[in-house]
Amino acid sequence: MSRALFEAAGVVRRLGGRRVLDGIELSVERGQGYVLSGDNGSGKTTLLRILAGLEAADAGVLRFQGEQTLLPRYPDEWRLRAVYVHQHPYLFHTSVAGNIAYGLKARGEAHELWRRKVEDAVDWAGLREVLAVPPQKLSGGEKQRVALARAKVLAPQLLLLDEPTANLDNDGRRRIVALLARLYTEGVSVLIACHDREIIELPGVRRFHLEDGRLVPLG
Amino acid sequence: MDLLEPTRQAFALLLRGDPELLQIIWLSIWLSFTAIILISPPSIALGVLLAKRRFPGQRVLVVLVQALLSFPTVVIGLVLYLLLSRRGPFGSLELLFSPTAIVIGYMVIAFPILVVFTVSAVQGADPRVYETARGLGASGKRAALTTLWEVRFGIIAAVVTAFGRVVSEVGCAIMVGGNIEGLTRNMPTAIALETSKGDFAQGIALGMVLMALALGVNIVMALLQGEGGLK
Repeated sequence: MSRALFEAAGVVRRLGGRRVLDGIELSVERGQGYVLSGDNGSGKTTLLRILAGLEAADAGVLRFQGEQTLLPRYPDEWRLRAVYVHQHPYLFHTSVAGNIAYGLKARGEAHELWRRKVEDAVDWAGLREVLAVPPQKLSGGEKQRVALARAKVLAPQLLLLDEPTANLDNDGRRRIVALLARLYTEGVSVLIACHDREIIELPGVRRFHLEDGRLVPLG
Repeated sequence: MDLLEPTRQAFALLLRGDPELLQIIWLSIWLSFTAIILISPPSIALGVLLAKRRFPGQRVLVVLVQALLSFPTVVIGLVLYLLLSRRGPFGSLELLFSPTAIVIGYMVIAFPILVVFTVSAVQGADPRVYETARGLGASGKRAALTTLWEVRFGIIAAVVTAFGRVVSEVGCAIMVGGNIEGLTRNMPTAIALETSKGDFAQGIALGMVLMALALGVNIVMALLQGEGGLK
């Protein structure tokens, strides 16, 4: 019996005649952190979006907790288990807390329950001091922390993060890296696409490099 | 021509709250408001559908709606007149020269404005809105509603523009309403009638109300946009 939480096999994606993903094989274990590196345009974002069901693949099989789907079909209920955080996250035109609560409300969580979870997520991401600031006026790092809190509050089994520290200043980067390190220790399976050396070298993380459409494990 | 005297009389009519004037103003606003309330939900829904989905005949539908946008209102009035007249297919409903006929006309005029503005607002929305909502577990319907909420100022602009268009519309209202005093006479048709009779005071008074209405609606829009932030 496989220990894997999530598996991808033979994932292919063609874009403009090029096989951006050429038979991706990936196995994600529970509570394990993974980092996916690769050149710009190598297909990291495309892969993450396919795994989150936000982009169609041309071929391949995904397995989530023993359930299997043939791509491009992606079961709606898997969206409740895997959450993708965009490189430049979009924050809705509501409050910071409203953003964090969005997914919980969409899942039909009871008011009292989601309020408590949002409070916890605000503290987890260190957002207490910016609660009253309109989300559109937050800095890039603060927006990224809201997006992380918004995803983490849903207690996803798989968190897919796309370049979470790209274009951030030193302080913003440092705070995001600290949150990612905490995520690893809290038992969330995380797959991060990034170039950031500090994230790539986090202890206990397994590393892959995406090259010529294929995943190559790194030591 | 002496403009001062009719203008003075117009102010006098407004200040003393002339009952006939107030009745015309009330009827205009009520008919326009009713038409916008009735036609907005289906028009906005169609706008979202045209912006987000691909289906056979979609292009034709878009062209038809856009063509309707440039139709002269008097032609819309003529078509409605033929449909509602005694010998027309809907003559048995006896709607011609009634407030209901004007509301129907206003709905036809407002429909393409609402659809085209909604399509433009939704297509202009950041694609990450829908994707983020779906990624956080929202159903397709909830994600579409979230997108609509994110572009709400564009939708409000559509509704306000449509209201402004119908409240000042004259051709269709005269054709299907008949400009009947106390029943279908509204601000634009009353202005047209009184001016043709050479009675400028009431026309000027109603013209001022129309302009104040247009200004008021646009101030409300600007305030809303100021609070929400124009994108």
